[in-house]
Formats: sequence, C-alpha cells, structure tokens
Amino acid sequence: MNKSLFKYIWRYSRREQIIIFLVVLASLPFYYVSLDLPRRIVNEAIQGRSFQNGQETASFLGISLAWPGWLGGGETTFWPGFQVGRLELLFGLSFLFLFFVLVNGWFKYWINVAKGALGERMMRRMRFELFSLALRFTPDALRTVKSSEAATIIKDEVEPIGGFIGDAFIQPVFLGTQAATALIFILLQSVWLGLMAGGVVGIQFIVIPRMRRDLLRLGRMRQIESRRLAGRIGEVIDGMEAVQVHDTARWERAEIGHRLFHLFDIRFRIYKRKFVVKFLNNLLAQMTPFFFYAFGGYFALRGRLDIGQLVAVIAAYRELPPPLKELIDWDQQRLDVQVKYDQVVGYFASDRIIHRDDDAPEPDDEPLVGPLRASGLKAFDAYGNAVIDNAAFDIALPASIHLVGAGGPGASTLARILAHRDTGFSGELKIGDHDLANLPRSAIGRRIAYAGSEPILFPGSLRDNLLYGLKQNPPAPQEQTEEELRRLLEAKRTGNPFESLDVDWTDLGQAGAANRDELDDRLLDLLGRVGLEQDVYRFGLAGRIDPERNPALAEQIVDARERLRTKLEADGMADLVEPFDPDRYNTRATVAENLLFGVPKSRDLVGRALAEHPRFREALGRAKLTDVLVGLGAEIARTMTDIFRGVPSGHPLFDQFSFIHADELTEFDDVLKRVGVRGRGGPTRDDRTRLIALPLAYIEPRHRLGLIDEALQDKLVAARATVREILARDGADEIDVYDPDKIAMAAPVRDNLLFGRVNESVADARELVRVAGAEVLAEMNLKKDLERVGLDHQVGPAGRLLTSSQRASVNLIRCLVKRPDLLVVDGALAAFGEEQVDGVLDLLMSETEGRTLTIVLPNDHHADRFDVTMQFEGAALSVEDRRTAPERVTAAAAE
Amino acid sequence: MTIDTEVAALRQVPMFKDIDPSRLKLLAFASERIQYKAGQRLFLQGDAADAAYVILEGRADILLKTPGGDVKVAELGRNQIVGEMAIISDTPRSATVVAGEASAALRIDKRVFLDLLVQFPQMAIAIMREIARRLERTNAQLVSAQRG
Repeated sequence: MNKSLFKYIWRYSRREQIIIFLVVLASLPFYYVSLDLPRRIVNEAIQGRSFQNGQETASFLGISLAWPGWLGGGETTFWPGFQVGRLELLFGLSFLFLFFVLVNGWFKYWINVAKGALGERMMRRMRFELFSLALRFTPDALRTVKSSEAATIIKDEVEPIGGFIGDAFIQPVFLGTQAATALIFILLQSVWLGLMAGGVVGIQFIVIPRMRRDLLRLGRMRQIESRRLAGRIGEVIDGMEAVQVHDTARWERAEIGHRLFHLFDIRFRIYKRKFVVKFLNNLLAQMTPFFFYAFGGYFALRGRLDIGQLVAVIAAYRELPPPLKELIDWDQQRLDVQVKYDQVVGYFASDRIIHRDDDAPEPDDEPLVGPLRASGLKAFDAYGNAVIDNAAFDIALPASIHLVGAGGPGASTLARILAHRDTGFSGELKIGDHDLANLPRSAIGRRIAYAGSEPILFPGSLRDNLLYGLKQNPPAPQEQTEEELRRLLEAKRTGNPFESLDVDWTDLGQAGAANRDELDDRLLDLLGRVGLEQDVYRFGLAGRIDPERNPALAEQIVDARERLRTKLEADGMADLVEPFDPDRYNTRATVAENLLFGVPKSRDLVGRALAEHPRFREALGRAKLTDVLVGLGAEIARTMTDIFRGVPSGHPLFDQFSFIHADELTEFDDVLKRVGVRGRGGPTRDDRTRLIALPLAYIEPRHRLGLIDEALQDKLVAARATVREILARDGADEIDVYDPDKIAMAAPVRDNLLFGRVNESVADARELVRVAGAEVLAEMNLKKDLERVGLDHQVGPAGRLLTSSQRASVNLIRCLVKRPDLLVVDGALAAFGEEQVDGVLDLLMSETEGRTLTIVLPNDHHADRFDVTMQFEGAALSVEDRRTAPERVTAAAAE
Repeated sequence: MTIDTEVAALRQVPMFKDIDPSRLKLLAFASERIQYKAGQRLFLQGDAADAAYVILEGRADILLKTPGGDVKVAELGRNQIVGEMAIISDTPRSATVVAGEASAALRIDKRVFLDLLVQFPQMAIAIMREIARRLERTNAQLVSAQRG
C-alpha cells in the first residue's frame, strides 16, 4: 500500500473524484443565484423598486448582472425576460427561489451519494488489501501478530479512513468554493463587510489548527491504546481456560481496569481540548453578525448599502460559517486519518509480509516426483544453533519415510522444511527437478500436505473442515445473473476478487471422487478407519434433516419411527416411550411442549421467553388457561420457596432441581404475597408472567407435585389448536408441528425417530430405547445415511466442540483426502492413544500407497514398517534405506 | 402418585424419621421415582455405588454372589432403604439387588444425598444417630453370637 494516504486515494479514485468535482463546479452558479434572489425579492418586489417612476410592469426572468461601483458599475443584460406586474413579480421570484432551493438540494443529494459510494468502495478496497496482506504474514511475523489486533485494524481502524476518503478531495473544494462564493457575494455587495468577514475567517484558519495539534498527538495515543485493549481482551478470552484454572480473574480485571483508566484519561484530555476549540470557533462565528448589524446598519443608514443588500449579506453570512467550520473539521479529520493510515500501513510493514504477486499466472500443475535430494542442507534455530548440519541424502520417491528426532528439533525442522512451512534453510533441497525453496504456491497447496501438532479447524460443519484442503481453485463461473454482474462490477472497481462463492469450490477431481456422494463415502470410510465411526453416527443422531434437501431419508426416518414403535410393542417395551399424539396429553413432556405440540424454531418460544411471548399469552387467554397457569405457578413457587429455603445460592441442588433461581427466592416470596390480594397491591403483569413460566416447564411424573389432573390434561390438549392458530397467524412460522407422517426439521434425528418422550420412570428406559433404535436403523441400512448427516455436525469455533483426538483426526483426514504427492505428518499423532496410533499408522500407510509419506515419530518402535529411517543425533543426520541393500546405496550415490 | 406420598414413605425409614419435613420434601423432590419389572436389577454387586433406593411398592431381593451362583440372602419390603451404606462409605456394592415383583423405588442420587448432608447438619446428625444405633445392634448381635 502507498505510504501517503492522499496518493493512495488519488491513485484509485481519480476518475470519481474528478466527476464529483465537476458536478460541484456545475452546482455553484445555482448556489449563487439562490443567494442573490432574497435581495431581489425584497428590493424589486416588496419595496417595489422595479416599479418606480410609474412603471406598470417589470422584467422577470431577465438575466443580467449588476457590477458594483468598484468594478466600474453599470449592468450587463443577457436576456430581457417577461414583463409582469408587481404581485406576479413577487410570486414569480419567490417560486424561482423555491426552485433554486430544490435544485441546490438535489445537487447536495447527488454529491453526498457519490461521495458515500466512493468512500465505501475505497474502504472495501483497503479492507480487502489489508486482509490479503494479512494472509501473507511471514511465519516470523505471525509469532508476534495478535489476531484480535489485526481484526480491529481491518474492521474498525479503516472505517474512519473510508469515511474520510469520499471527502478527501471534494470536501475542501466544495466547501472552499462555497465559502468563497459567499465571501465574494458579500464583497460584491460591500467591500468593508466583505473584508470584515474575511478577517474573521482568517483568524479561524490560522489559530484553530494550531490548537488542534495537541489533539492529534492524543488521538494517536488513543488509537494505539484502543488497539492494545482489543488485543488484550482477545488474549484473555482465548486463554480463558488458564484464567479459570489459576483463578487469576482478579488480576486480569485489575489489568484491564488500568488500561481502561489510561484510555479514559487520554479520551478525557481529548474532550477538554476539543471543547475549548469548539468554544472559540463558536465565539468567532457569533461575533461576526455583531459587526454586520452594527456596521452594515451604519452603512445602510448612511445610504452606502440598501436594505436588500444588507438582508442578502446577512443571509449570505449565515451561509459562511458552516462551510468554514466543516472545512476546519475536514483539516482536523485529514490529520487524524493520516495518523491512522500511517499506523495501519506500519502494522503491515513490508518486512513482515511475504512478497509475491497474488495475481501472477500459475505455472502448470506438475506432480512432485523424482528422487528427494539434499546437499549441504543447514538450518538454525532462533539463537543461531545448528538444528540440521550439512545434511545430504538421496532417496528415491515414492517412499515411506520415518523421521526420528531423538529429543532434538532436527526431525521436526526437516519435516517443516519439506512441507514448506519453514523456509529459513540453506543448501540444496530438490524433488526431481523442483527446487523446494522456490516451489510455486499452487504446488505447495496441491502436492504437499502438512499435518502439524495443532489442528486448525474453522467454525462450520465437520464436512467443511475435512474438505477445506480441496478449496484451492475457483471453479468455472456459472451463468451470471444480474445480481452477480453487479457484484462483479463492484469487485472490479474495488480491486476485489471476481470468484463467486455460490459455486462449489471443492475440487472433486483432486480427491478422486466423481460426485459429492462419493466424496462423502470416502470421508466416512476414512473417519471409520481412524475410529470415529461411532462418533459420526452419534453426531448424525443429534443432527437435523432437511426434508426438502433429503426427502428420501426423511421418509425413511418416518418409516423407522413406525418400525421402532412396532418393535418396542413386540418386545413388551411399549411403556418405555410415550408417543406424541395430537389428541392425547403427553405426560412425559412439559406443559409447554404439550401446548405447542411441536419444536420451536426460534428462541422466543423457549423457556421464560415463551411466557412473555405476546401471541402465546393471547392464546392462553383465549383458551382460558392464563389464570390456571398462574395458579399452578403459585403452587410451584410455594413448594420451591418452602423446600429450598436455607439452601445457599449457587448450591448444585438449585441449578439441578429448582424451578426458581436462588437469587429469585425472596422475590417470589413477595410475588406470592401479592397473588393473594385482589385489586390494588395484587400481582403485577410481570408477576403473572413469572408465575406462568414455572408450570410451562413442569412434568407431572418427574416433579410429582400432583398439579395436573385429567381434566386439566384435556383442557391443555384442547388448547393446542388455539395456540397453533394464533402462533401461525400472519404467516408466522415459528413452530415445527409434530406430525406422525412427517419429520420435524427443527428437532434432531434422535427425537424424530422416537417421536415421543422416553418414560424415565421405568428402569434403564433410555438405554433400552437407544439399543432398540440402533437395531432398527441397522435393519433398515440407515447407519450410513445418518453418518452422512453427522458430517453436517458443527465443530464450533476452532473445533472446540470436538475432542482433541477428533480434531487431530480431522487434521489428518483433511490431508489424506486431497491425495498429496508428499504427506508430512509432524506431531499430529500425539493426540491419539498408544493403541490408536497403530490403527492410524495403518491408515496413513495404506492411503499413501504409491505416494510419499514422511512422518515424525518420537521413537523408533515402528521403524520396521517404513522404507526409510532418517535419524537425527543432535544436528547430524543418518539415513537408512531398507529397500536397497547397502552396496546399492553406495552405487546409487556414485551415479 | 405425588411427592407427599413419597415423603410419607421416607418418614417410615428410621434413618430419616427425625428430619425436618421440608428437608425430606427436598430430598424426595430431588430424587427419582423408578418402576421395575420383576427380576429387573436395581444394582449389581461390585458396581460403583451411585444411589440409595427406598422401596415404595413391591419388594426387592438381595442376592450375594457365591461360587454356586447368586444366593438370595434377604428380602426388602415397602419403606425400606437399600444401598445407603455404600454411598456413605464410598465402597462398591456389596450385593446385587433385584426387584422381586413389579416394584417402584425412590432413587436417591449419591451426590444429592451427600450435598444435603453437608448443607444441613441436623440431617447428618440424624443419619449418624441411625448408624450408631445399627452399630450398637450389630455389637449386641456379635456378643450374643459369641455367647451362643
């Protein structure tokens, strides 16, 4: 990026800036006329100067310019205009004035929109460029870059710069010419008044910027401190586990408190200075009218200025301070933004960035084959100690290579060098004719895979993460819709990429799959072989099926539902599940579930929010259930306040069993007191809502308070239709209703299969039902389909919803699925248990058959399984190739 | 079947008879009522102890493993508690308990039970008193057995 902000802006927005500038110029004559018209209205129409000397009519819409005395006087007429009467002239001129007001408004609107668009485009360009730069941080720089700081820069710090860009050139031109026009107008009317106004302007322009210099220094401090604050907060959140484990929250709070104080201090100093400047500005602006009234009035009385001129001058002067103020603001903003820009550019300084041309044409993709040869290979650690000393080898590829470090960093370093993760080595390292130091980017991405010890997962589905390595090249563009063309046009204007996200980037060819289904099968096969089959199946059971995307499976699940029911009945286990029945109360479900009789799609229909939901409340009212539920709520609250009294808040019993939060116990005491009262002092609306929320979560057989008898059950079932009708009013679609013949998309597969609630009162019910369900799914050959649903499982931020061995598996499979010529595994097996490692090694071996596998292992227990062992003793490397007899090694070396 | 009937059942258990009614209600509320078919197992000898059970309906058989198979050593009827010693002493189950007929039991979770003891000393004292009584009884039996 350009060092100077203005050069950067000029380079990318020259054309737009000039167009806007021309429009600004074109708007000026209109602006001038709108200033001049009030004078004419007063003088010519109201005071009737045009009708002096008995004239019946006057010229209207005539274009002429009266020159002031000091320019020689006289009047130049361009067009004589129409002859009209006095009243007509008044209205004519007034409407003309209105017309020019509208024209000026339109110009302002156009200019603002154009400036806004310009600023937004430039901001988009800057953000994108900065992000592209961030992708190119050197491994060295990455050690010190904080992710949250980089995010703050790209998101927040660029924003004011973007806002300024639209104004960068146009604002001074526009405001400057506007101010100049007003000033010239005043000058034309009266030299003295003009000079007075000019004097005040001069003072504003000289004094105020000087006072603002200090503000800039503080602004810079504020920016750096804010960025550090963001960085620090990010660190603490990322390291929350350490904070909680060591209970250092107090220290962290104090630390952040200090930073906030420092930031406050800076900001407070900025405010103080800012308002002093503002005060001065306002004072100067308000003093000028004093001069105008006093001296302008004096001139008018003396006859050197007519009243119309005075009115116009004062009107023109009213127009003068706003542009001036904005001009001064612009200058302030300019300096401010320049500081920010310098900071941003400094963060992405060129010594922290890998230099390469993102748009350079890619060389043809060639396989990485041929012997792996090294000579004089040396690498050093950060302290200058040799890690690899003068290594030389010549290994025929493909091969399975086993790197042993014997506690030193040599093996891992060599692995990283091979995978191009580490470029700080000297000497020669080649595969065939390809020099590993200058491998093209595409070859690194497609031909090499590296699985390090820390798996990097992105939020998204398991499948997305497994296929991440196949998203290197954009697919051929699809047909272009109008929206798409608009996107492309904008991308072109802002230097953004043209590639569309609507098409599937996954490179099926590289994975060797014909279609997505085949690819899924391959993923499932690999997942099964690292021992995740059960996990993926469980993910599938907890997953959701979209009946529109997958109608066949949805139908099969409905069939499986039937079968499970039949099976449970046949095995005498029908009492284990209480099925959902539109006409019967499900005693094992909560009152809320029974009323909604479906799965809520939004959070507004869950928990306490449901009791507050206006439509739900309306439905309760219609079904005459409000008072019933309030009564039940009071009953529950009474029991809870009774049995939980004396249990301290935060006690596990509360969290686990109570309907009422510990902190609310005393509040509910008050609520209960009010419930007994009628009229004033009775329960408030909020009280009723809180009470209604309690029975909504009530399940009779579990909580056993004896609140729901059969009559009430019937009433609740009867209310279902009302609830559904009112909730679905106006096309609202917040509930996925239970339908025996359909799947509820909002519920997990497990619940859809069960279509009811497990009777927890029966011993081992859950386990028995689980087993029966698994049997049914196995009978219907649905396991595979469910595993496929399991691939949609969300892994959470950085994959935190997976276990560490699941994450490690994802990391490995992501590498395997793209079938690299060279797979480097460095520490990625550490997350697996000793017995699992064998299975994973088997998988790696068989999957890299015919290709090269390089793996760093802590010991040589598995050495016999590899073709080649590369053993480090300190920095010295010895190579043993088991495929060739020792004499043939020397022969090969001699060739 | 409401919590009040269970509180009444708990009150029949000597260990709980001196405990404040609202505490007993909390204990009942925090416990689960579970139904068993004849022959269904409450717990297995050697398993980790995770709960105590109060028989509400039906009966339970206590079985001990012997080389010749399980042998029934005792029978428990309504309002009797079983498995409480293992959750207090934190030892594995010393016997297997199965439902002798279709039965119902109140399952008192170990953690809930211990939490309540920690929270309400008068409850802990009531339990201690019961255990001391049992010890006394056992001693007396031992003495009479030696004499006999």
